[in-house]
Amino acid sequence: MLTLIVGGAASGKSEFAENLVLTLPGRRVYVATMEPYDGECLARIDKHRRQRAGKGFATLECYRDLGGLKVPARANVLLECMSNLLANELYSPQGGATAAVLEGVTCLCAQCVHLTIVTNEVFSGGRDYEGDTLRYLRELGMVNRILAARADRVVEVVCGCPNVLKGRLP
Amino acid sequence: MTFLTGPMYAGKGEYLQKALNLTPEELSARAVFHVEEQAAGEESLEDLADRLAQYDFVIANEVGCGVVPIDPEQRRLRERAGRLSCLLAQRADTVIRVCCGLPQVLKGEWTC
Repeated sequence: MLTLIVGGAASGKSEFAENLVLTLPGRRVYVATMEPYDGECLARIDKHRRQRAGKGFATLECYRDLGGLKVPARANVLLECMSNLLANELYSPQGGATAAVLEGVTCLCAQCVHLTIVTNEVFSGGRDYEGDTLRYLRELGMVNRILAARADRVVEVVCGCPNVLKGRLP
Repeated sequence: MTFLTGPMYAGKGEYLQKALNLTPEELSARAVFHVEEQAAGEESLEDLADRLAQYDFVIANEVGCGVVPIDPEQRRLRERAGRLSCLLAQRADTVIRVCCGLPQVLKGEWTC
């Protein structure tokens, strides 16, 4: 089962996704994709760690090569977030391509009971971008569409409130 | 309290006026607009949300759905604006997103 959670900056999407995974029985694994390359990233990582503290997630870090990630059997996995993972792959010299990210999702899906993926709405700030940024927007938009097509459930989170776009909430 | 969010110029105020049959003055007396701009200060967002929740209607522009800004201060403001909206939505009985003047109820009951 695949759930896609989408939302803008500080929309409450992470907390909503965590709480959704909490409703599932069994072990919980959090796949963290943000690479701690500066103080702001570290602060953000810390904020998210505190937010999910006590919710019973085992954390695995995966900055790229999602296809190579091994997760414990019969777990409910929360991947946060696709926008970071794709940026890591696209901007890193050793990174792969969008196809590798999607293949990685397939591998992860095959290993777990329920996969929940958080992704970002970053597409409503105009088209005044070029080069790498425009390429990133195009690729992330494509990834989001493909994941939404595959997903059993797609939920947009707006100021912490769910707007169900596909499937239904438990 | 009813919280309205949505892109700028989506017709949030105009929608409220029509739905509740209020004049602009009557709405102004019961509503606070552009609250995302108040999130910029250093004060506690929880306190700010508590204070804003005293109004009947709180209206915010959605500003967090573009590319992450390069400027750290812009990023910080966007984060605070989003967080404030989450706190207001928690305090609201009803949350409505307005898009192209059309309402979508995200929380609670709205019979207008």
